[in-house]
Amino acid sequence: MSSSSASTAAASSATTQPLLKINEVDFAYGARQTLFGVNMGIAQREVTAFIGPSGCGKSTLLRCINRINDMIEGARITKGNITLGNVDINHPDLDVIALRRKVGMVFQKYNPFPRSIFENVAYGLEVAGMKNKKLIAETVERSLRSATLWEEVKDRLHESALGLSGGQQQRLCIARTLSVRPEVVLMDEPCAALDPIATAKIEELIHQLKKDYTIVIVTHNMEQAVRVSDKTAFFYLGKLIEFNNTMTLFSTPENEQTERYLSGRMG
Amino acid sequence: MNEEKPSPSSDFQGLIKPPSFLGLRVDRQSLIKHFFTGSAAVTILTLFLIMYSLLKEGTGFIPTYQFELKVYRQAGLEFCDFIQKPLTENTALLSKLNRAVNADTATLTQKAQVRRDALFLAKGRVEEKTARLREAVTEAVETANTPPEKLAQARQALNEANAKAVGEEAFPDVYSAEERRQIASDLGTLQPDAAEPPAIIKTLSAEFAEQDRIAKEKYAGFLEAVEAFEEATEPIVELHDGIAELAKSTKEAAVQQHMAEDAKAQLLAAAESAKTPEAKANFQKEADATSLEAIDYKGKIEPIVAKLPEYEAMVPTYVAAIKAAMEKVPQKGETKESTALINEVRKQLPKHLTHAEESPALMKAWQWDKPIPMVQALTAFLFGGDWITNSSWQDFYGVVPLLTGSLLIAVIALVIALPLSVGAAIYTNQFASPREQELIKPFIEFIQAIPSVVLGFIGISVVGDLIKETSNVAWLQWIPGFPVQERLNMFNAGLLLALMAIPTMFSLAEDAIQNVPRAFSEASEALGATKLQTVFRVIFPASLSGVFAAMLLGLGRIIGETMVVLLVAGNRIAIPDFSDGIGTVFQPAHTLTGIIAQELGEVSKGSSHWQALFMVGILLFTISLLINFVSRKVVKRFQLPKI
Repeated sequence: MSSSSASTAAASSATTQPLLKINEVDFAYGARQTLFGVNMGIAQREVTAFIGPSGCGKSTLLRCINRINDMIEGARITKGNITLGNVDINHPDLDVIALRRKVGMVFQKYNPFPRSIFENVAYGLEVAGMKNKKLIAETVERSLRSATLWEEVKDRLHESALGLSGGQQQRLCIARTLSVRPEVVLMDEPCAALDPIATAKIEELIHQLKKDYTIVIVTHNMEQAVRVSDKTAFFYLGKLIEFNNTMTLFSTPENEQTERYLSGRMG
Repeated sequence: MNEEKPSPSSDFQGLIKPPSFLGLRVDRQSLIKHFFTGSAAVTILTLFLIMYSLLKEGTGFIPTYQFELKVYRQAGLEFCDFIQKPLTENTALLSKLNRAVNADTATLTQKAQVRRDALFLAKGRVEEKTARLREAVTEAVETANTPPEKLAQARQALNEANAKAVGEEAFPDVYSAEERRQIASDLGTLQPDAAEPPAIIKTLSAEFAEQDRIAKEKYAGFLEAVEAFEEATEPIVELHDGIAELAKSTKEAAVQQHMAEDAKAQLLAAAESAKTPEAKANFQKEADATSLEAIDYKGKIEPIVAKLPEYEAMVPTYVAAIKAAMEKVPQKGETKESTALINEVRKQLPKHLTHAEESPALMKAWQWDKPIPMVQALTAFLFGGDWITNSSWQDFYGVVPLLTGSLLIAVIALVIALPLSVGAAIYTNQFASPREQELIKPFIEFIQAIPSVVLGFIGISVVGDLIKETSNVAWLQWIPGFPVQERLNMFNAGLLLALMAIPTMFSLAEDAIQNVPRAFSEASEALGATKLQTVFRVIFPASLSGVFAAMLLGLGRIIGETMVVLLVAGNRIAIPDFSDGIGTVFQPAHTLTGIIAQELGEVSKGSSHWQALFMVGILLFTISLLINFVSRKVVKRFQLPKI
C-alpha cells in the first residue's frame, strides 16, 4: 500500500478544512529515517487516534506537531511540512514557545514537577509572564475543573503533587496543559501507566475536552481508540497505512495490513 | 526424542555434586562471594581499627591533661598568670605605640636616611668590585721596601677601577648635581689605607644624625610617653618574675614526682611478673628505693599568695602611670599609620585597664586546692582559646583557634567553590554542546590530579604575591582587609582548597542535574517555557538536594585537606580577630589538619602533646562523619520520583 492511497483516504475523510495538515512528511533521527511521506489532515474539535505497533512512528509524528522533538539532537523533518492553521510550524521565523502554548502535550508517564499542585498548574502561566495573582488563581481553578480534578484537590492545593494517585497526577498534567489554553492537546499514550478505573476517568475527560480542544491521542489500546476517537490513523513501519473515521476503520478496514493488525495477526 | 528411554537414575545423577578437590567442597560461586565478603569485611575492619587506635591514644589525654591542669593550679602558675595577662596586653599595646612613634619620626629622618644608606650601599659595591686592586695596594703599603713608584702605580690602577665602578653605579634621585660630583670624586679615590672615611659620607652621616636629633626633639613628648608606658610595668614584672620562679620550681618538683610514681609503678609491675625470686627481690628493692616525697603544695603556695597585697597596691599606681603616659601621647599622629595605631591603642586601653584593676579580686577568689574535675579537662580542650606547646611555663591544648581556622577556611573555600562548580555543572549539563562537554569535563576532573603539595607551591609563589600586590592597588582600598599584611593567609588557602573541591562538587552536582528526569524538562518545554526558564525553574530546583549533597562532600574534602593549609594558611595559632569583618579572611591561621601534620612527628610518643593531637584527630573524624551522615540524610530525604 503506497502513501498516496493513504492520503486519498485522509482527504476523503476530512469533511471540513483541517486545522492541522501534515503534508508528505519525512522524518529522521540523524541518519535513521522513521517517517515516510506521511500525509493527513486533523480536523478541529475532534479526537484523532494514532494506532499501530511499537516503533511505527506514531509517537514521533505526535512529537513533531509541537516540535518537542527539537530537544533531541539530530531529530528533524527532512521533507514535507506540517501546518497549523496554514502556518508552517517549521518555518525558520516561527516562535516555538508560542507554538507550544498553542499545542499542549500530555505524556505517557505522568510527570508533575516535584512542587505543589497549585504551582504545577500555575507554572505554564508563570513562564508566560503572568503576574496577576488573582488571575493565576482563577486560571488554576478553571484548569483543574476542566480536568475534573478540582473537587478532589481543592483542599490541598499547596501540598506536593507527588502525593496524588497516578490517575490524579495524570489529570493534573492535563490541567497543567489546559492552563495555557492551547488549541490542540497531544496525548502520548496518556493511560499507559494507569489502572482501568483511572483510565476510564481520563477517557471520560477526553470526551468532555473535545468540545473545546482538538485532541490527538496515541494509543496502543484499540478499544480505547474506539471509545474516545472520531478518526483513527493506522501507522506501520513509519508509513500512514490507513486513516478514516474510527467506526469505518475498525468495522471495514480498507487495507489488508490494517485488518491484520486489528485482528491481532500482526504487531 | 531419544531413541532409547534412559533409566531415571542415570538422568538425575548429575544433581549430586561430584567429589571435589582434597575433599573440600569448593563451589566457585560461593568462592567468589566469599572473596567479595572478605574485601568488604577488610574495609570495615580497617575503619574500626582506625577508630580504635584514635580512641586508645586520644582518651588517655583527658586524665593526663587533668593532671597537668591540676599541677598548674596547685603550683600557683595559674595565680601568676592573673598578673601575666595584663602584662601581655601591655606589651601588645606598647609595640603599637612604638610603631606609631617610629612612623612619625621617620617623616623627618627618612630622607636623610635614604641619602646616607644609598651612599653606603654604593660604597660597598664599589669596594667589592675593586677588591683585588685594593688588596694589592694594602699589600704594597704593608711591605716595608716597596719602591714608591710601584705603590703609586697600584694606587693609580685602583683609582681607575674605582672611577669605572662609580660610573656603573645608578644613584637614586636624592642627590643634587654638586653632591653627585663629590660622590664621584670621593668614591673614585677610595684607598684602603685612608685614615678617614670619604668627606661626603661624613657629611651625609652628620646630616642624618642632625635630622634624628631634630626628630627626637620634636617628638620628645611622644617618646617620653612611650617610655613611661613601658616603665609603668617594671615593679609588676619584678614581682611577677619572683613568684613565677617559685611556682615553676614547685611544678617541676611535681612533674618529677609524677614521673617517679610512674617508674615505681612500673618496677612493682615488673616485680610482680618477674620469673625468678631473685629478680623479683631486685625489682622490689629498686622500687622501694624510689623515694616518693609528697609535695607540700600548701607550704609552697603560701609565699606566692603572700605577694598579693603588694601587687594589689601596685595596680592603682600602674593604672595612674599608664593614664598619665597616655595623656602625653598626641591625639593625632603625624602620619596616617601612626594615627591608626594610636586610635587602636586608645580603643583597647579601657579594656586593658579594667583587666588590670580586676585582677587582684580574681586572685583573692582563687583557691590553690580547688579540684579540677575530669570534665574540665575536656572542656578546656574543646573550648580553650590557647594552643601553646613546648612552653617553658605551661602547655595549653585548647582547640578553638585551630577549629575556627579550619572552619573559616572551609567557609571561604565553599563560598568560592560552590557558585563556580554549580555554575559549571549547569552549563555543562544543560547548555554545552557535546563537543564542549567532552572538553570541559576532563579538564575540570584533571584538577583533581594535581598533587596538593604542588597547589601549595602555587599558593606560596603565585597566589600569595598576587593577593598582596592586588591589595596594594590604590582604587581597591575599599575592600575590607586591604592592604593585606600577610602573603599566606586564610583567603589564599581557601582559594586553593576551592580549586581542589571544585572537581568533586562539579562532578556530583552534574550528576544531580543529570539525574533530574528528562520528563520534567519535556513537560516544562511543552508548556512553552524557554530553555533558561526550564533550567532555573524546574531542573535546578529538582536537583537541589543532590547539589546540597555535593556541597557537603566537597566540604568534607576541604576540612580534611592538609597539605595546602599547612603550606599556605600562614600557621599562626590564634583565634582570628573578627573585628576586621570580612577582612578577617586575610589573616593567617592554623588548622586541625595542619597542626597534626606539623607536630605529630616531633612529639614524644605518649606525652600529653601526643595525646592532644590524637584528640584533634578524633575531632576531625567526628566532623567528617557528621558531614557524611548529613549528606546521606539529605539525599534520602529529597529523593526524586523515578520517571
